[in-house]
Amino acid sequence: MASLSSPKCPSSSHHAPAPTSFTGNRRFAPSPAYLSLRPLPKRYFSKWVSSNSPKIRHWNVVSMRDAATVPMEPKKETPSKEVENGSIETVSSKEYQELAGLRNHEKDSTVSITVVGASGDLAKKKIFPALFALYYEDCLPEHFTIFGYARSKMTDAELRTMVSKTLTCRIDKRENCSEKMEQFLKRCFYHSGQYDSEECFAELDKKLKEHEGSRLSNRLYYLSIPPNIFIDVVKCASKSASSTNGWTRVIVEKPFGRDSESSAALTRSLKQYLEEDQIFRIDHYLGKELVENLSVLRFSNLVFEPLWSRQYIRNVQLIFSEDFGTEGRGGYFDNYGIIRDIMQNHLLQILALFAMETPVSLDAEDIRNEKVKVLRSMKPLQLENVVVGQYKSHTKGGIMYPGYTDDKTVPKDSLTPTFAAAALFINNARWDGVPFLMKAGKALHTKRAEIRVQFRHVPGNLYKRSFGTDLDRATNELVIRVQPDEAIYLKINNKIPGLGMRLDRSNLNLHYAARYSKEIPDAYERLLLDAIEGERRLFIRSDELDAAWALFTPLLKELEEKKIVPELYPYGSRGPVGAHYLAAKYNVRWGDLSSEPYKA
Amino acid sequence: MSVCSHYALRFSIASSTSPFNNGGTRLSGWGRRRRTQFGARRSSQMGFLMRSSNGYPLIGVSLKDEVLSDKQPMGGLESVDSTVSITVVGASGDLARKKIFPALFALFYDNFLPEHFTVFGYARRKLTDEELREMISKTLTCRIDESENCGDKMEQFLQRCFYQSGQYNSEEDFSELDRKLKEKEAGKLPNRLFYLSIPPNIFVDVVRSASRSASSPTGWTRFIVEKPFGRDSESSAELTRCLKKYLSEDQIFRIDHYLGKELVENLSVLRFSNLVFEPLWSRNYIRNVQLIFSEDFGTEGRGGYFDNYGIIRDIMQNHLLQILALFAMETPVSLDAEDIRNEKVKVLRSMRALQLDDVVVGQYKGHTKGGKSYPAYIDDPTVPKGSLTPTFAAAALFIDNARWDGVPFLMKAGKALHTRRAEIRVQFRHVPGNLYKRTFGTDLDKATNELVIHVQPNEAIYLKINNKVPGLSMRLDRSNLNLLYSERYPREIPDAYERLLLDAIEGEHRLFIRSDELDAAWALFTPLLKELENRKVAPELYPYGSRGPVGAHYLAAKYNVRWGDLSSDGT
Repeated sequence: MASLSSPKCPSSSHHAPAPTSFTGNRRFAPSPAYLSLRPLPKRYFSKWVSSNSPKIRHWNVVSMRDAATVPMEPKKETPSKEVENGSIETVSSKEYQELAGLRNHEKDSTVSITVVGASGDLAKKKIFPALFALYYEDCLPEHFTIFGYARSKMTDAELRTMVSKTLTCRIDKRENCSEKMEQFLKRCFYHSGQYDSEECFAELDKKLKEHEGSRLSNRLYYLSIPPNIFIDVVKCASKSASSTNGWTRVIVEKPFGRDSESSAALTRSLKQYLEEDQIFRIDHYLGKELVENLSVLRFSNLVFEPLWSRQYIRNVQLIFSEDFGTEGRGGYFDNYGIIRDIMQNHLLQILALFAMETPVSLDAEDIRNEKVKVLRSMKPLQLENVVVGQYKSHTKGGIMYPGYTDDKTVPKDSLTPTFAAAALFINNARWDGVPFLMKAGKALHTKRAEIRVQFRHVPGNLYKRSFGTDLDRATNELVIRVQPDEAIYLKINNKIPGLGMRLDRSNLNLHYAARYSKEIPDAYERLLLDAIEGERRLFIRSDELDAAWALFTPLLKELEEKKIVPELYPYGSRGPVGAHYLAAKYNVRWGDLSSEPYKA
Repeated sequence: MSVCSHYALRFSIASSTSPFNNGGTRLSGWGRRRRTQFGARRSSQMGFLMRSSNGYPLIGVSLKDEVLSDKQPMGGLESVDSTVSITVVGASGDLARKKIFPALFALFYDNFLPEHFTVFGYARRKLTDEELREMISKTLTCRIDESENCGDKMEQFLQRCFYQSGQYNSEEDFSELDRKLKEKEAGKLPNRLFYLSIPPNIFVDVVRSASRSASSPTGWTRFIVEKPFGRDSESSAELTRCLKKYLSEDQIFRIDHYLGKELVENLSVLRFSNLVFEPLWSRNYIRNVQLIFSEDFGTEGRGGYFDNYGIIRDIMQNHLLQILALFAMETPVSLDAEDIRNEKVKVLRSMRALQLDDVVVGQYKGHTKGGKSYPAYIDDPTVPKGSLTPTFAAAALFIDNARWDGVPFLMKAGKALHTRRAEIRVQFRHVPGNLYKRTFGTDLDKATNELVIHVQPNEAIYLKINNKVPGLSMRLDRSNLNLLYSERYPREIPDAYERLLLDAIEGEHRLFIRSDELDAAWALFTPLLKELENRKVAPELYPYGSRGPVGAHYLAAKYNVRWGDLSSDGT
């Protein structure tokens, strides 16, 4: 594709400025009144191929305060004629001029991104590099300012030195890298202050105003801080450092509580100071390329959707594994455990996206409505459908790998699971009886995140005899490997070339690295850009979060109350064997541990 | 024993074997050998072992099948006692030298031939055994991947080859052959296979003489016949009637070598052993199917035969129609030859006869490119100057049954085109209510899924899917979920003739065309062919090496189809 090499941000450059494309943006507009003010992410509706279109930069993040809009019901007011008649409709020339005119005002708005907890690990490793990547790709608005906020005393120059150490340029686009870096760093500033001090945030506000000048100011806060100070910061920032004429948004990282009650309390507190649509709960797994692609696969191809139900799918497996343990940083983890850390959010979110009904549109609210429906159709987890494990030390090749409880930051007698496998069920018409198996673990033999869809047997298989007795080995399987080495493949049965009639499972595959030479952006880039653009599709809404906790809270309480002892497994192994028995109970075989050689 | 009782025996074996009986206890000696050989290869290629070559008990080898015990060692009683004589009638012809003898050798090399076998060449020319061997040896090759002992093996094979010269219509000459065959058979149970590699006008003579004077008295006698099987319904029926005077249906093996191609064989496997394809295999999901055949050369001085038949008879009425029938048939009761052929006949009989306005014919003309001049069809000295014979044809066919009503099946076949290719393309419908509609721009046609089965060259299967281009934008892209055979299966793929010869030896009829299939196929094409000839429809000329006449596009457009092989994305 010609446009692959385009140096411009996809958000603007891959969009052909033809009138047809503007119709798309209206779907994201909350109400007709804002139509001309908030033409939101065009990148979602850019053309199939946009090689020859003139590239016009335009920024679309100008808007009134979000808080003024009515959350959750935007689509009702969205004009839907383009959806109804199935043809792509053109916008009247008047509308077009309005939209075009809008771009001339872009100069008048600015975005200030404040990273609260700027000296933390996540900020250094992910947030600043992601912001730089967006800047490098021309995805940030012309006027923007980045502020680091934390308690430690630092000058702007010290912040810049710190930030500069982790910035990298895309492998495939190295030109002007250092120049760009320099320009980026000049827009970074630091403000030191207490997290619970309104005065300090008022000072920040003053500094922000200096940089914003007379422009329409939009403000984004990224809370990269421990959960116990979330509320303090939100309170101070919203009271003292909200934008007066633009929007103010807050990105929050997990953990969002540790059970239904604490999560509800957190949400309640946040909502004291923020509207629902100002809150951006980040789940970085939703920003992964292949998770994004899941909906595209399902809804833009004819061949998958007919198969997407209990009629054809035997089971679905959501697998996450890390090949390292807590490595001296178990303090936070021990309070949460793998179920809260991975399953209740990342895996459950992927499950919801996988299993949801077709949404009315790609609008954030429409998608999140469908996800909530899936979560609410699910049975809360039962203890007997869960296996928990904890890694123990293991010596291999002379190297000694420590057990979880050997971690100095972990209590010696900790029962916190570092591994869990669970069987979940969705009690709706589409999925009744189909086991959704989840598995997540630390210190396993491999690093991997994948979705495996195992299809049913072929009814009345004519080739039954060719498979021997193990028909399980002969079913189709769709594998979506989220990381590492992004790939999609469909295992099919195929005749081995030759004079005999021997069948073989081979893969119809798409290996991303082979097909797409471009570096795949980090999940944080996508999510930050979405937050700037007000696109909420990949963020978790309060009711989604409630529904997710409702599924896991009874189990988590039971595990803790009954002091369930995790099954120990050696560091670097394939995890506790209990996971196999759980799978067997539902007539499932883990696809990632099958005896077939693992092939892409 | 008579051939008919053989046939009956086969069914009794098939029906007495439980489908769950995984081991295959009643395999013949050859079946065993094949299994053993597969077993030995298991380590190198992962996969599942099956009980016999074609999914059900091997048959038609000998009466002894029934009495063979499970403990019978390989090369036991049965294989000692029976023998196969393969007589290639028309041994000095092109096909015999280029395809049949090499295929026989490949089978021998891979241990697929029975322990006792003899190969006879038969033709009018006077040749000694040595001369025949000399001639054959020039075209024998060993598998690229297994060339050990090649010379030894070749020598052993040639020692089993003999020659008999005689007239094609002389019963005496065939009696002479019979005598020689008996000598070689030396009291073993004789089975005889005749491969008729001769012009169609002498088919019947040879069949008469051979069946009368050189049939096996105790084993089976089979005849492999090559196309053309007539040139219309009447002549084909006449040929069948004559053949049947001397042969019973199951002695006749009408070969269509396209059915022996690896990916055509795989078509049924794809459909029936995968859950994910069959639900999509109907008018509900499939928009159109395209069967495409192209050669990148013309008649090159050998147009004499071709001019009498034309591309429609030469490619469409047999190869492409056979693939279509396999593609579109309902699920057969079993993989048994009769069950499969029953389903194929049903498809053919559900089809509308071709209409002239659903057909485009073309003929290549001379073309000069890069200083090189390529001749027109009528420049071929063996072709009459005013010939209207099509060297290219495109046609739209319809199957009026519940599964396929309204789905256009487009065929395209041509000589002297820009590429050499045979493929099946299945274009799926639009996604109803596509959420990503806007992302595709206006051309939704470009955004549908497509399954492509590349039969030759470069065997491959791929499914075009829509996919998000990695990156921050939401741009969609058609990428392929693919399986490229040469990457996955480094082993050489056997020639279609090897498979078909082996099947004939084993009495496996699945890949051969039954008389009623042939009748049904001709019934579809005969009215059109007559009309083309009666009206002297002039073919649209296209340059040698081009993409064929543009008329093919208009034909496709009429049914809202776009040829997948000529689209701009090129794959």
